[in-house]
Amino acid sequence: MLQAYVPLVLLFALAGAFALFSVAAAPYIGPRRYNKAKLDAYECGIEPSPQPIVGGGRMPVAYYLTAMLFILFDIEMVFLYPFAVSANALGMFGLVEIALFVATVGFAYAYVWRRGGLDWN
Amino acid sequence: MKTTAELIADDPLWLSIIKVVAIFAFGVVMTLFMIWLERRVVGRMQHRPGPNRVGPFGLLQSLADGLKLAFKEDIRPVVADKWVYFLAPIISAIPAFLAFSVIPFGPDVTMFGHHTALQLVDLPVGVLVILACSSLGVYGIVLSGWASGSPYPLLGSLRSAAQVISYEIAMGLSIVGVILRSHSLSTSDIVNAQEGGWYFWLLPVSFVVYAISMVGETNRAPFDLPEAESELVGGFHTEYSSLKFALFFLAEYVNMVVVSALATTLFLGGWRAPWPLSAIDGGVLNTGWWPILWFVGKTFFFLFVFVWLRGTLPRLRYDQFMRLGWKVLVPVSLVWIVLIAASNALWNTPGVTTGQRLIFFGVGIVVLLVFALLLPDKRVADDEEFVPVTGSGYPLPPLDLSVPKSPPRRRLPAAPEPAEREMEPAAVAAADKETGDGSL
Amino acid sequence: MSGFFSQAQQLQAPDVAYQAVLPMLLVLGAACVSVLFEAFLPRERRWGWQVALTVVTLAGAAISLIVYGNDAPKAGVKTFSDVLTIDRPTLFLWGTLLLLAFGAVLLIADRSVEPGGAFVAQAAIRPGTLQDRVQAAKVGMQTEVFPLTLFALGGMMVFCAANDLLTMFVALEVLSLPLYLMAGLARRRRLLSQEAAVKYFLLGAFASAFFLYGIALLYGYAGSVKLADIATAAAGTNRSDTLLFAGMGLLVVGLLFKASVGPFHTWTPDVYQGSPTPVTAFMAACTKVAAFGGILRVLMGAFASTNWEWRGVLWGVAIASMAIGAVLGLTQTDVKRMIAYSSVAHAGFLLVGSIALTSKGVSGTLFYLLAYGLTTVATFGIVSLVRDADGEASHLSQWAGLAKRSPIVAGVFTFLLLALAGIPLTSGFVGKFVVFSAALQSGMAPLVVVALVFSAVAAFFYLRVIVLMYFSEPAADGPTVTVPGAFTTMAITIGALATLVLGVFPSFALDWAGAGGFTF
Repeated sequence: MLQAYVPLVLLFALAGAFALFSVAAAPYIGPRRYNKAKLDAYECGIEPSPQPIVGGGRMPVAYYLTAMLFILFDIEMVFLYPFAVSANALGMFGLVEIALFVATVGFAYAYVWRRGGLDWN
Repeated sequence: MKTTAELIADDPLWLSIIKVVAIFAFGVVMTLFMIWLERRVVGRMQHRPGPNRVGPFGLLQSLADGLKLAFKEDIRPVVADKWVYFLAPIISAIPAFLAFSVIPFGPDVTMFGHHTALQLVDLPVGVLVILACSSLGVYGIVLSGWASGSPYPLLGSLRSAAQVISYEIAMGLSIVGVILRSHSLSTSDIVNAQEGGWYFWLLPVSFVVYAISMVGETNRAPFDLPEAESELVGGFHTEYSSLKFALFFLAEYVNMVVVSALATTLFLGGWRAPWPLSAIDGGVLNTGWWPILWFVGKTFFFLFVFVWLRGTLPRLRYDQFMRLGWKVLVPVSLVWIVLIAASNALWNTPGVTTGQRLIFFGVGIVVLLVFALLLPDKRVADDEEFVPVTGSGYPLPPLDLSVPKSPPRRRLPAAPEPAEREMEPAAVAAADKETGDGSL
Repeated sequence: MSGFFSQAQQLQAPDVAYQAVLPMLLVLGAACVSVLFEAFLPRERRWGWQVALTVVTLAGAAISLIVYGNDAPKAGVKTFSDVLTIDRPTLFLWGTLLLLAFGAVLLIADRSVEPGGAFVAQAAIRPGTLQDRVQAAKVGMQTEVFPLTLFALGGMMVFCAANDLLTMFVALEVLSLPLYLMAGLARRRRLLSQEAAVKYFLLGAFASAFFLYGIALLYGYAGSVKLADIATAAAGTNRSDTLLFAGMGLLVVGLLFKASVGPFHTWTPDVYQGSPTPVTAFMAACTKVAAFGGILRVLMGAFASTNWEWRGVLWGVAIASMAIGAVLGLTQTDVKRMIAYSSVAHAGFLLVGSIALTSKGVSGTLFYLLAYGLTTVATFGIVSLVRDADGEASHLSQWAGLAKRSPIVAGVFTFLLLALAGIPLTSGFVGKFVVFSAALQSGMAPLVVVALVFSAVAAFFYLRVIVLMYFSEPAADGPTVTVPGAFTTMAITIGALATLVLGVFPSFALDWAGAGGFTF
């Protein structure tokens, strides 16, 4: 069973080697001319605004909301895939179950929609 | 007759290695070619010739650009997080190539005396592999923005993550429709299941949703908000230069090719010859090495559409873009899935008459209409209790800001620029970032 | 993968005994409808519709429960391919849950004690910010608390009836997640409330992880997550006991956490104090019922045959819980924290009944849960009445001389505290009596003696409050006692009356509780 994945690993190794080589070789191939301004964060030429430590600071709450919605719907998708594969074997029973499932997620979706969870401003 | 999976399982290691190298080369060559094609096509659409100096028709232009990038200085900002900054391009490049592994380029052929299929692996979870790869690619983007320690990349990567995961939902749901018909997640099974009819007209809604979300998923115009040159300089890769930048570029184009190839596989019958050709001589054009031609042709059709969109449409505003994804594509897909599942189940249940089926669908449509009426997108009018949750101390211009009229134009007596002149190759990279001519 | 999917060929639609599970379906269905209410009703109409829906649902569920319970098969019904068991204890627990939830919903729905209700309009706003100050001036309320309550209640009902560990885990999450949110909704003292929510969530997530890991180990041991299969595997086998007891240990830790049995009680005081008082009432009464329902079923169903190996440990846990509750309760200066520690002590008493593993132990514990829950709801109802300008005056010093300001409230509170202490003629006494006698019968005399000692110690801190209320001079700027609206009055009356009735004529409820045993 796992044998089938060997070519996948080979491709991973090749792509990985290529990417790693590119990234690692870049500093040695290119020229190096020191200039302090070059090493600053790029903000269209103005002095960089004082930054918190890397990646710090708060992100707008809307992004967290999107992330949570994504998880919700991703899980719905995870359930839909196996259902889709065996939909015929499950017949009417499967249909009723999946309709109930989609409806339940739909309620939550309607709630989020009405409360402006899907709006950006 | 062996299945594709069994054929591939018999591959000796050297054959696998040949396929791996071929796929990798395909990805890289397609990227170089696509960059050239895009610049040429967009150039034509804008009444200019596009790159035409390096090689015949300028074909070697992107190769020259790539080589030039290798000899640029590699800069790492002092505030960057060293290891994550280093890893991010790698993380975004590997999954892009990996997704090719399950794409069926053709049926069984004889390669160096071996009977095999034109596909690297045929996994029972093939479609999931592609979805997984496209999700992993987001990490590269997010981490690059995070590690750069600079505001533009951070904003770009956040936008990008939100965008890609939003459209991934729509994309995944549209694929469910395909699986409901093919009853398999294996890509070769899906192509085989399209022998009787391609899914783009059997499942039109799925196709449209997929086509839209694949543009969103790859951050391409008109959905190229993470890279919006005019707002965010270059988005997540602002702080990257040299070969690291080249890797992001590569990953983006390879991703484009992957989603196009997947669209071909899922909806356009994969390697199958189009109708009049498929009838020739009992389908001889569907055997041997011919299918690669059809496959690449269909893939190029989608790639051309990518370029066409870029040449035609302006960029969406961010809220419009998210609204399209969450409020149109997702509900449409969900309803569509339930419809397909219902019709499947009804047609497979013995003893249901056509009349009963029609009644069933009538009821379903009425329920849908009721829901549609319940869901008008208007703000709840009585929100006088509303306290703004978000918003900081920074002043923000309103979205409906009315721009003052521009002053009357004065005609300048200056001589017109020679329009036909193409920039020198060395200047192109700089122009890439500033004018977007380099198709990013 | 293909092998996995080909199993679908044999999949059959499971039989569902709709009549038996109707109460549960009603509650969960109403929770969904309630979400739609939130989505589509204009804001000013939401409260009324939500209250009506919730009350009607609880009443409907109770009626369907009674109708089914009158002619239910004595052996119980297994349904949904045996993952749920509706037997006599399930029916009793469901009835208890519905009754207690009704009381708690009355408290939740009250908008007269605190103008606009005890809940904040937007809980996500950071305390102390500009938005928070704007919000503090408004009287809007988060009506989402109603669907959350219904979801939590539905989860509790499934939890009590779950006959396999996976269903139990899902139910545990369904009941926990709404509670985490509800803990953060208090209108006053936002920071405390948010702290309570986060603490409850983090510790609860840990406990869930323990529970899940325990399930994994037990599955490794028995090859099944069904309670009956685990019992069969444990009864006659030469498999590794390590897996069994490690799995059981982790599983029980998860359960004891929910039941706030010490030493897994650390969240209890903070969460009880920070949550809005009606939610505390709901949490204290209903969660305990659900958790002990689960503990009883798991211990009886899966681990009864190995009880000689683990009973000693749970003895220790019970003693620890009683000791922690009684001793730390003495040092508390906040009424809500004090009741929290009292609940830890009560959890210890309940655990004594649960590990008796006899039918008398089961019926005793069930009765105790009913009695304790009703008393608790009424107690928190009273706590919500004593207020000053900052909201509830929960510091004990502010309760000094309360009897002089409001003799009725002080009197009812005294009665409830006596019930909690277990004084005769209250339901608390009967509950302790049946639980301890069941424990005596199954040979746990030393444990019963310890329990008696600790109930005496615990009685002391209840008496301390009574003394404070009656024999101290009221402070000059002390709190006032709000005249409760109809809802709160009703909740307190139900709780106090039930405490009295169950203390004087307990036999009918004892009959219900002892009507039949578990079915696995």
